[in-house]
Amino acid sequence: MCRMSRVLPFFLLILVCWDVAPVHAQRVQIRSRAQRTPPAGVDSTLVARFQLADTYLRGAQYDRAIVLLEDLYAASPKTFVFYEKLKEAYENVKRYDDAVALVDDWMQRNQASDPTTLIAEKARLYYLKGEEQTAFTIWDEAVAQAADNQNTYRIVYSKMTQVRLLDRAIMVLEQGREAVGEASLFQAELAYLYSLTGQHEQAMEEYLGLLSTNERQLNYVRNRLNRSLEQEGALEASIAVAERGVRKAPLNRSYRELLGWLYMEAEQYSKALNEYRAIDRLEKEQGRVLFDFAQRAADASAYDIALEAFDEVLTRYPDTPVAADAQLGLAEMHQRWAEKTREHLFDENGNRLSAPHYEAALDTYRAFLQRFPNHPYYPEVLRRIGRLQQDIFFNLGEADATLTEVTQRYPNSQAAHQAQYDLGRIALVRGQLEQARIIFARLVDALRIGELAEQARYEQALIHFYRGEFEGAKTLVSVLDENTSTDVANDAIALKVLLLNNPGPDSLSTPLRTYAQASLMLRQRRANEVVDLMDDLLRRYGSHPLADEARFLRAQALRDARRPEEALAAFGELPLMHPDSPLADRSLFQSAEIQEQDLNDPEAALETYTQILTLYPGSLLVPEIRLRIRALRGDGA
Amino acid sequence: MRTAKTRRLALPLAALLALFAFFGTKNASAQDILIPMDARQSNHLKAYGVAYWVLQKAIPIDWLLNYRGGSFLIEGFADLEKELAIRGVYFERLSGAQTAQVIASVESESTNTAVVRLEKPPRIAVYAPKQTLPWDDAVLLALTYAEVPYDMVYDDDVLGGELSNYDWLHLHHEDFTGQYGKFYQYRNMPWYIEQQRQAEAAARRHGYRKVSQLKLAVAQTIRNYVFEGGFLFAMCSGTDTFDIALAALNTDIVPSEYDGDPVDPGALQKLDFSQSFAFTDFRPSFNATEYEHADIDAQLPPQQLQNPALDYFTLFEFSAKWDPVPTMLTQNHVATVKGFIGQTTAFRKRFVKPSAVIMAEAPGRDEVKYLHGSFGQGTFTYYAGHDPEDYQHYVGDPPTDLNLHKNSPGYRLILNNILFPAAKKKKQKT
Repeated sequence: MCRMSRVLPFFLLILVCWDVAPVHAQRVQIRSRAQRTPPAGVDSTLVARFQLADTYLRGAQYDRAIVLLEDLYAASPKTFVFYEKLKEAYENVKRYDDAVALVDDWMQRNQASDPTTLIAEKARLYYLKGEEQTAFTIWDEAVAQAADNQNTYRIVYSKMTQVRLLDRAIMVLEQGREAVGEASLFQAELAYLYSLTGQHEQAMEEYLGLLSTNERQLNYVRNRLNRSLEQEGALEASIAVAERGVRKAPLNRSYRELLGWLYMEAEQYSKALNEYRAIDRLEKEQGRVLFDFAQRAADASAYDIALEAFDEVLTRYPDTPVAADAQLGLAEMHQRWAEKTREHLFDENGNRLSAPHYEAALDTYRAFLQRFPNHPYYPEVLRRIGRLQQDIFFNLGEADATLTEVTQRYPNSQAAHQAQYDLGRIALVRGQLEQARIIFARLVDALRIGELAEQARYEQALIHFYRGEFEGAKTLVSVLDENTSTDVANDAIALKVLLLNNPGPDSLSTPLRTYAQASLMLRQRRANEVVDLMDDLLRRYGSHPLADEARFLRAQALRDARRPEEALAAFGELPLMHPDSPLADRSLFQSAEIQEQDLNDPEAALETYTQILTLYPGSLLVPEIRLRIRALRGDGA
Repeated sequence: MRTAKTRRLALPLAALLALFAFFGTKNASAQDILIPMDARQSNHLKAYGVAYWVLQKAIPIDWLLNYRGGSFLIEGFADLEKELAIRGVYFERLSGAQTAQVIASVESESTNTAVVRLEKPPRIAVYAPKQTLPWDDAVLLALTYAEVPYDMVYDDDVLGGELSNYDWLHLHHEDFTGQYGKFYQYRNMPWYIEQQRQAEAAARRHGYRKVSQLKLAVAQTIRNYVFEGGFLFAMCSGTDTFDIALAALNTDIVPSEYDGDPVDPGALQKLDFSQSFAFTDFRPSFNATEYEHADIDAQLPPQQLQNPALDYFTLFEFSAKWDPVPTMLTQNHVATVKGFIGQTTAFRKRFVKPSAVIMAEAPGRDEVKYLHGSFGQGTFTYYAGHDPEDYQHYVGDPPTDLNLHKNSPGYRLILNNILFPAAKKKKQKT
């Protein structure tokens, strides 16, 4: 700021003394020349008065500034800066007639060789004055001055946009294009003006024109379009025009890229795929373009389209560098799609069902291992296969073999640690508790800290619980529930409460022991046996504090066994028999969920959810229940 | 397939539900429901929504001013308790004798309480563009959260005479001076460009050269709407820009950056403060880059108070029996409310017209936060600040999640306004 104030007087002095050319367009050049060669014989009084006028102007004391500037202009009528400042001052006080007269005077005195700028400026002043028709007539005159010069149209359009006459500015540029006879003139300007006025089809036509002359403008075009695509109808209109452009010039890469990008913006992934596929082929990109697109579609959860794109990369370009990543992407897409569509591998009777995406995921992972045995993702892919075999296909033997291979071939890797944890879970399901304990203990030793180590510790606690070693289980969960930041902390707290509240009645805590055994059995998918075991427990220890837990577990087992009506009744009786149980609200919630999801009875579900709100207004499930009620009522709020 | 065992086991749930249904119905039909609005209330904001929902069923409500935070008393009917439970609103059942006792206590001359009967749900319009702008609107948030239905209206609707269909009109972060919120620094952002495009198109459609002229016409139409009996509630810059635009009807206060021509050099002399509702003798800001429309706004609190924990304002207490209107508008479960900043954060007291009733102010700062006044047959209420639960809401910030602010005293003030037009007009005590 200080430096500016020191330099400014000197700069103004130069401008005052220099007999500048009148045309605004030349000013920048003249100033820079003047700075290099300051003239001699400077009238310092004029400079001082001009400085004072300028100060008045900046202080909004326009009347004082005008008096000074009028004197200065009279004293030196060929000094551009006096003319310009005086015009600015007139404009500031809306003395448009005086401003127009000044422009006329300047034109007359300086015999401008190119008067277009001045005439166009005069028209602008008339417009501001409110004489719109006069302004339009004068702008026409400005154009007529040099109708074959493209600069004429630029000047006039610029003056019009200053007063936001955007539609008129478009007309002027269109007129100029025709008059000069160059269809590619003013494309960027017109595109911008069309966007500003909501004429998106025309804007896109201009952008395509721009790209046809220079494909490297694609990023510029995308940046510009980004600003207008939020407008209503802009995306649809732009797509329609880009589609026509691609049809007319199918070999123009920039057109196709633009169209593909627009489709992505509109979430029309299938159409976008067609464009990127075409680019990939036309430009011999060897799958790179398709692969990039597939990743973006996957990020946007368009699994089906991403899958198609990955598949195409593999089919068409099996030996390119992106093939391995494409193979992995393909498997992931199958898996995510299966999860999204909740594919089931077994029906309620345990019969195997067709699960095409899970099966395809497994096959694709296997194909990856076969084709890329030295790929850095090999251990992780092997582990994923193991987990699919374990949790989805329930083939424990194969899962065991696969996961063991991971731990043996890639010891100490992240994949090996995960595989070791999964092997522990397999041992549990098989009932090999000691084996499971050793596996989890080794994992804890190896990792010490982290989410996986905490999960392994919790599994160790559960093993103690399943074995009836309740003191050991308590000791372990006490450690876990202190670290509340981990995901397993809540489970650990729940287990601790269960252990503390349900000892006795004998020294062996037989009911709790039976309950622990049933919990393990439920994990082992022996739901029907759990039902029988809990029936027996409730018959023998119906008044034990564990009874509500036992009833809840029994109801869960019935649901797992795909016996929804019985499960509904079992969950329903719990709040009646144990109205003060902490499981009462959860039981009713489960009842409502069964009515909603398993029995397809939304009205009954709605009634049950509502009853929970009345009976258990303090339940932690209340926010979720309200959401479900609103969804069932179609409130949308 | 249902087995005999299944049928037997299914019985308990049915019995349970039937039992609950029986008791629920009996209670609902036989008793009055009190919705306390004091600290006991679990969800103050939804309570207003329930009140509106009841009015929609043509069932009157007694609003018990200053009684337990401004409670609602409703004659019980089927589904009321269920709806209260679903919306998470705390309520108490009152027997006939208990109701009589409460009413007697509220109507007692010895207490500053009163009963106001609410009869008809007001038809609500919110003045807002269809375009999504990168800031939230506290009233839209409050109405949506409380599940109170409303219509959106904008310039075309206002100038087309649509306001006559509504009892209540809300303005929020709006700029009636035609300066696009003075967001000049955002002039290249898509939302600004679109806002400007739409405003210019609307101005042309209605035969105005400038957006400021269009907005003045809109402001004058709203002024007439209030004069003829409409209720206006405005927040943030919807308050001062409305008054500024009205006062500037004979001049041009818009810098060239927004409308292409400079400010009228005689603008200050041409301001007509008789046109404005609440403010007088103010000076508009002619600086295009200053994020301020006039000196009405007190701007940010002093540096040491720019802290959500320290910044607050206090609500005035009015006589419930003598001044029921400001009493309704200030019903709350607290006397001090957390402060919040906006483009218009608070009104400088020296610019407030003597005819306006000040309802809340920042203590020791000579700043008014909440005011009310009458104009013709209608009334206006101005509430400064942008979002009562977001101390300083910036452009692009996500909207406030009212699930986290169910008991917001600041939002309660907004919702008091939507029920106030439902009140049955009562002769003033003499």
